[in-house]
Amino acid sequence: MFKHKKVLISLCISAYLAISAFQISNIQRTFFKPEIPSNFPPPVYELKANPLTEEGIELGRTLFYDPILSSDGSTSCGSCHQQFAAFAHQDHPMSHGVDNQFGRRNALPLFNLLFSKTFFWDGGVHSLDFSPLNALENEVELNEQLDNVLKKLNDSEEYRDKFKKAFGVSEITSKVFLQSLTQFMATLVSANSRYDKFIRNEGGLLTAEEKEGLELFEQKCSSCHATGLFTDGSFRNNGVPNNYRFDKGREEITLNASDRGKYKVPSLRNIEFTAPYMHDGSISSLEKVLDHYTSGVEQSATLDPLLKQNNQPGLAITDPEKKKIIAFLMTLSDREFITDKRFSEPELFLNTPKPNEKNHSHTNNR
Amino acid sequence: MNSFKIALLGLLWMTLLFSCDSAAETISPGDKNNMIIEFDQYVGNEKLVLNSKTYKNTAGEDFTISTLNFFVSNIALKKSDGTEVTFPDQYFLVRQADAASLKLTLKDVPAADYTSVRYTIGVDSLKSVSDLSQRKGVLDPASYGNDNMYWSWNSGYIFFKIEGSSPLSSDPAKVFMYHVGGYGGYTGKTPNNLRTITADFGGNTATVRKDISPTVHIITDAGQVFSAGLRISTTSMIHSPAAAKPVADGYVNMFKVDHVHNDKHDHKE
Ligand code: HEC
Ligand code: HEC
Repeated sequence: MFKHKKVLISLCISAYLAISAFQISNIQRTFFKPEIPSNFPPPVYELKANPLTEEGIELGRTLFYDPILSSDGSTSCGSCHQQFAAFAHQDHPMSHGVDNQFGRRNALPLFNLLFSKTFFWDGGVHSLDFSPLNALENEVELNEQLDNVLKKLNDSEEYRDKFKKAFGVSEITSKVFLQSLTQFMATLVSANSRYDKFIRNEGGLLTAEEKEGLELFEQKCSSCHATGLFTDGSFRNNGVPNNYRFDKGREEITLNASDRGKYKVPSLRNIEFTAPYMHDGSISSLEKVLDHYTSGVEQSATLDPLLKQNNQPGLAITDPEKKKIIAFLMTLSDREFITDKRFSEPELFLNTPKPNEKNHSHTNNR
Repeated sequence: MNSFKIALLGLLWMTLLFSCDSAAETISPGDKNNMIIEFDQYVGNEKLVLNSKTYKNTAGEDFTISTLNFFVSNIALKKSDGTEVTFPDQYFLVRQADAASLKLTLKDVPAADYTSVRYTIGVDSLKSVSDLSQRKGVLDPASYGNDNMYWSWNSGYIFFKIEGSSPLSSDPAKVFMYHVGGYGGYTGKTPNNLRTITADFGGNTATVRKDISPTVHIITDAGQVFSAGLRISTTSMIHSPAAAKPVADGYVNMFKVDHVHNDKHDHKE
């Protein structure tokens, strides 16, 4: 009798396992292998832990553009990270979110995130997976709570369905929610600028002026904005005037005074599209950025030694040289990237309530 | 007293011997049971009551407590023979507002006599930087609701959180909030406020047997948060790892084992 019971139980278990295996195998997922440009270093992000699938990426894209992620349904990731601005926030020195509140820092563009060791200007976040939480819970950005977002998503049949298709789950948890956003962001690889095609011998040509600009860039800039990603991922103080009252940069994470005013060296790819510049958006044009490097560098205890010459802050760059450098920087624009339909707001948007639809786009009410 | 206890125990053995066929006295290989670690929370000598009760710290500052939460992890139990049993990958969040969370259950503790417990207040660096698949249960950032225990701007858990009010607070709302985190950094060195507590059972043993599941009572004194010099009048808000060091240096003193019950309990499974 007892033995029979056991057999019965194991039968039930194997039947259940068979059914769930069937259910999982029933999910059609198409794996996606991101292209790693030959002039890039290997990715930092552990893709094995979160294998990209077409379904996961598409779901991530939908989430990225859905204002359901904000407390008042007004703002999405895409409100601040705009594709035409290489996923930075054009014209906004300080990004703003719900209730038009202003944040403290200039939005960073989103591309080549697979290759980043740290995230945000101060490097406070060390995994792409956890970077959306910052915006989500920041009261001047999306002003939401993760548990509440998950509740809203679980209440939506479309989302439950999409998550089931992408991850084979019946409940939307923080894990799959964050993984799907990562999957979309992981595909945002920008490596098809004219410079890339030149450097990879893919038929891209640089003019004589641009080539001279590249040479000057390699002399004066690439020790921080290392070619490839155009950042070495380090934290440095490049002398942007800062009274440290509102923003101490990397020091806020390490609490080490020697990190005061240091920020993650930003990539200069797509720099044409991401004005205004610097962590505080205080410099409006590339001409002014170059002027900053020659005459605006502020002396301070943590100023990077590379930006000092004979103990004087600033680099020696003549006006014609500045022009050449800017001409070169323009070759870093990747128009394929900023127009790639795979990254754009999905046309067929989900049927989720968006109470403040009218506020959704507020790029111009500054 | 002692002989009475022995007699009582003897009686227990007897009933046991007659009721089942296994003797608890001897430990057979593979014997195990649960051990419960229970936090009895106090401020000084008074029981901790959220919101309504006013306490005084060592500097004579009046305060009330509205929230007291902390993570307990990396528990290790020391046997009377000096060897240790560790419980890796078990994370507990103690929240005063949730009575059930004050009791931590260690499952499948090997039968032995234990003399002390060691644990970390916080979430170790390995777990703090682990991937999403490891963020389950109390480590899931979605699990905190309004009572957040995760810093999203400076990735990491809030190891210890105490909030309350005090007339001496410089904050206009007269509240104080001390949030402690900081596991030492991932790509660069950042402040480390992980603290390890060793609590000796003071000559008592926690006896784990096939049919004995002991409860270790740890008395906590939240007033010790101020024992490393922290003052509400000068510091009412702490929300970052480095600023939090004095809080962590204070709360290391707040845990003491009070007594151990060696209750008979069958291992349920
Ligand atoms: C209100 C504007 C705003 C919204 C909405 C917003 N962000 Fe951001 N984002 C920013 C700003 C500003 C920064 C840089 C902040 C900093 O470094 O302190 C940033 C930085 C980032 C970074 C780090 C990039 C890097 O290279 O380090 C990622 C990733 C990111 N955001 C993803 C998202 C996602 C995903 C969402 C939606 C869940 C989102 N953001 C919503 C403004 C916003
Ligand atoms: C010592 C390292 C260093 C050197 C050398 C350097 N930069 Fe930078 N650069 C930085 C840092 C750090 C930032 C971000 C500072 C901030 O936001 O406060 C930055 C920001 C910028 C930005 C703004 C990017 C954005 O997205 O906001 C531009 C453009 C730029 N640099 C161009 C250059 C050029 C051109 C050169 C050479 C003439 C150069 N940099 C040399 C470290 C450096």
